[in-house]
Amino acid sequence: MELNRQHIEYILLDLQYRGLIHDGLQDEILDHLCTATEHRMKSGKRFIDAYSEVIRDFGQSAGLLNIQTETFFAENEKTKHMIKNYITIALRNVRKHAFYSFVNILGLSVGVAVCLIIALFIVNELSYDRHFENAHRIHRIESDILFGGNHYQMTYAPAPMAQALPLEFPEVEAAVHFRERGSYLVKREIENIREENVIWAGKDFFKVFDIPIVEGNAEQSLNMPNTMAVSKKVAKKYFPGESALGQSLILDNQWEFKITAVYEDLPVNSHFHFDFLLAAEGLEEAKSSFWLSNNFQTYLLLQEGADPTDLEAKLQALIERNIAPSLQQIMGSDFTFENFLASGNKLEYKLQPLLDIHLKSDLLGEFEANFNMTYIYMFGAIALFILIIACINFMNLSTARSANRAREVGIRKVMGSYRSHLVRQFLTESVLMTVFAFFIAVVLAWMLMPVFNNLSDRQLTIPFSNPVFYGLLLTAALVTGILAGTYPSFFLSAFKPVAVLKGNVSLGLKSGMIRAALVVFQFAISIVLIIATIAVFRQLNFIQSKNIGFNKEQVIMVDDTHGLGDQREAFKNEVLKNENIVNGTYSGYLPVSGTARSDNPWWVEGKDPRDQENMVSIQNWRVDHDYIKTLGMKVIEGRDFSRSFPSDSSAVILNETALRNFQFEGEPLGQRIATFGGDDVDITPDNQIYLTVIGVVENFHFASLKENIGSAMLQLSPQPQGYASFRFQAGDTKAVISLLERTWKDMAPNQPFSYTFLDDRFDKMYTAEVRLGRIFAIFTGFAIFIACLGLFALTAYTAEQRSREIGIRKVLGANTASIVVLLSKEFTRLVLIAFLLAAPLAWWMINEWLKDYQYRAEISWTLFVMSGLVAILIAWLTMGFQSVRAALENPVNSLRSE
Amino acid sequence: MYSEVPHSPELLKGTLQTIVLKVLKDNKKMYGYEITQKVKTLSEDRIVITEGALYPTLHKLEAEGLLKTETVKVENRVRKYYSLTQTGNDEASSRLQEFVDFIRTMGQVLNIEWA
Repeated sequence: MELNRQHIEYILLDLQYRGLIHDGLQDEILDHLCTATEHRMKSGKRFIDAYSEVIRDFGQSAGLLNIQTETFFAENEKTKHMIKNYITIALRNVRKHAFYSFVNILGLSVGVAVCLIIALFIVNELSYDRHFENAHRIHRIESDILFGGNHYQMTYAPAPMAQALPLEFPEVEAAVHFRERGSYLVKREIENIREENVIWAGKDFFKVFDIPIVEGNAEQSLNMPNTMAVSKKVAKKYFPGESALGQSLILDNQWEFKITAVYEDLPVNSHFHFDFLLAAEGLEEAKSSFWLSNNFQTYLLLQEGADPTDLEAKLQALIERNIAPSLQQIMGSDFTFENFLASGNKLEYKLQPLLDIHLKSDLLGEFEANFNMTYIYMFGAIALFILIIACINFMNLSTARSANRAREVGIRKVMGSYRSHLVRQFLTESVLMTVFAFFIAVVLAWMLMPVFNNLSDRQLTIPFSNPVFYGLLLTAALVTGILAGTYPSFFLSAFKPVAVLKGNVSLGLKSGMIRAALVVFQFAISIVLIIATIAVFRQLNFIQSKNIGFNKEQVIMVDDTHGLGDQREAFKNEVLKNENIVNGTYSGYLPVSGTARSDNPWWVEGKDPRDQENMVSIQNWRVDHDYIKTLGMKVIEGRDFSRSFPSDSSAVILNETALRNFQFEGEPLGQRIATFGGDDVDITPDNQIYLTVIGVVENFHFASLKENIGSAMLQLSPQPQGYASFRFQAGDTKAVISLLERTWKDMAPNQPFSYTFLDDRFDKMYTAEVRLGRIFAIFTGFAIFIACLGLFALTAYTAEQRSREIGIRKVLGANTASIVVLLSKEFTRLVLIAFLLAAPLAWWMINEWLKDYQYRAEISWTLFVMSGLVAILIAWLTMGFQSVRAALENPVNSLRSE
Repeated sequence: MYSEVPHSPELLKGTLQTIVLKVLKDNKKMYGYEITQKVKTLSEDRIVITEGALYPTLHKLEAEGLLKTETVKVENRVRKYYSLTQTGNDEASSRLQEFVDFIRTMGQVLNIEWA
């Protein structure tokens, strides 16, 4: 006899009632029960009797459920099924709590994107110069000279050193020196192009630096005067489609150089990027045997295994042997090196490893602006902090939601989950979310990269084609997922099922305390970053608005005026005819970096030059009559140069520092200062040059504000070279530029017209600081954003948790404001605690940073208070939306379900 | 020599998978109830496979890839048929061989003279 539809329906309902829910098993057991029942009914039993016999044989509900449990276990012994199940449940949870998942994933992916960018940046900075095969054997000479009241730490060494070192010391395999002479005009036939990356280089350049050669012979390329090696880029630019080898280019309209080698372009991560290497063989100065003047950056290639410290010690002896005779000539025969050093002077040459240059060197005469190791650590710390903040969000949200999930944990445990299953379940959830967040992070980083490159002046790219990158990324995602998931998973899985299912989830003080501590930590980091950012901007502002001793606004500088030939005066006069132009001056010496400098020893006439006390090392600037007027410097004693005093050709104007250093006896105006005539050191008064002091100008900054203002003097030059600078009326800058260009084109056809503004050049000295400030601001923004995202979600969660309490309070007469305060109070307190922790730390960090500056902005307590207020304000705004929404909710909605 | 009472479930514990595999090998495709009945008939009622042991075993063997299933609609309900996969087929032979070896060893250990 067969069962009918109603019978089957009955059995199915009975099974469901008894708790058999396993999909595959239910059908199967149903069929089994039906067949068995049919079997028994054959002997004439009624359906209901047959069925209850069959069910009894099964062991009633317990037996049924036992089959089900056994089946679950039997199936799930396979890891594949287990993981699949974890992932399914995890995905379901992510979707179910879309808001929290969104906050978590967004926060984490922004954090990871920032970290990724910083990590790539740091990797790039650490890779500088490592592409040279012998990088670890290359060293640069670093000079540390204290003499005549001036302290120089610079890359310049004496000219003969490069030749002497390989001869004297067997451990020096090769040496090369460089001489910078600024930029050059380069032309093939007619059209001149200004080239910046030009350097005079010694003949062993390619021995020290193994740059691949495209054409020509490296060994012989730089050993003849008037030859040069050029980069591939340059070869292509001047000789498109043909071989550059053996061809010639004309420099500054006068010197013809033959190309003897073409080399590969230098990689971006090199500390120099020369495009033209001019053979120093053709430079008189390079052959000089004078050890007292330091003008050449010198690099050594050591033998494998040679110890640089040993060499440094031997180097000192060589220096003393070579320099002593020259110094004796100046200082008199009683000169000894010991006395020289004993009187506080210093003359040391050290070896600086090539690989230290980019991150650890900030000497006078660096080829390009280097980076700073401190900033590498700082950026690394910021990246780590941002990642920690994002992970904290994750932990906080997961534990905060634990009340909702407590019931899930209870049910799972009742159903037979072990704690380890739950831990694995929660870890799967967090790993899944982090992997997803990392994926979004890569996309975000890719989108942000151009912005960051622009800010940091780098050309970073995401190494999409590098398998190591993916490996690292995946590992990082797994580690982050496990780290961020460990605490919530152990916390959640520890719930006692009886307790949670009864409804009294005692989350305890413990979880609240930890969450509070994490929020405090997040905000402490954010506040430190806020304070640091404001401090960096204050210092920048201070630098840019400080009284710098001249007026940098409204001055335009025209470059390459030697292109004008004998038309120079005519050019100036023509331009000055325009009513917009106030003043004009010719001088290569300007108070911004990248312009001419010349340092000489001078003393007050009558004092003994052999006494080092009397020698003043001073910047000797050649200018014309209109210099002080044009630059807006202030004469505070005596007078400016004047055309009505022909004797001014032997006059000098000092700055305040120089006035102090000369230590004049009596009225300085009218006294004379002296220096050696010519290059020879000759102390007989007849061979000396004298200048009469006619005025003193207010101190003006001519180097970065990191340094003190040194001594400087202005002296008239009959034919000052270099820039033509014009002060113009505020207003139509474009008209001024076009006037200059028109006049230039008339008087110097075929010569390139180029100009800069004095204030731009001045600001350029602080690009590193400006960049630092901007990068800091952006990172801070991200950190705050992520922290606030967490706070936002936490407030939303609290409001949700306390909706019933809020409802009751409203019914009992609480007003909206008091509820908003109620909800925000706790977190406000946390932000305040964070501020108290952050302030001293930030104060210490700022002071460390400002130590580098001679002129510092004052960092007062208002800055700290301001930052604290900003943090609280941001926190309030974040919480405000949620709190107000919760407070405005109609109490009926939250209380109805009771 | 044969007793009439069913064998103790303890003795059957380790052999259930082997029995299921062998029965399926001989009968191509069967459903759960059919398997219990088949074994019952073959053993002359001395081996009774409980449902509580059978279904978890079937699901485990399926999860391990030794069995495959197909569902057929019969008499107002669905019925799930089990059959051996290729690996299941090989596994059935080797399990059987293993069991024969086991019995032989047991014979030596317990010093049994086969009737």
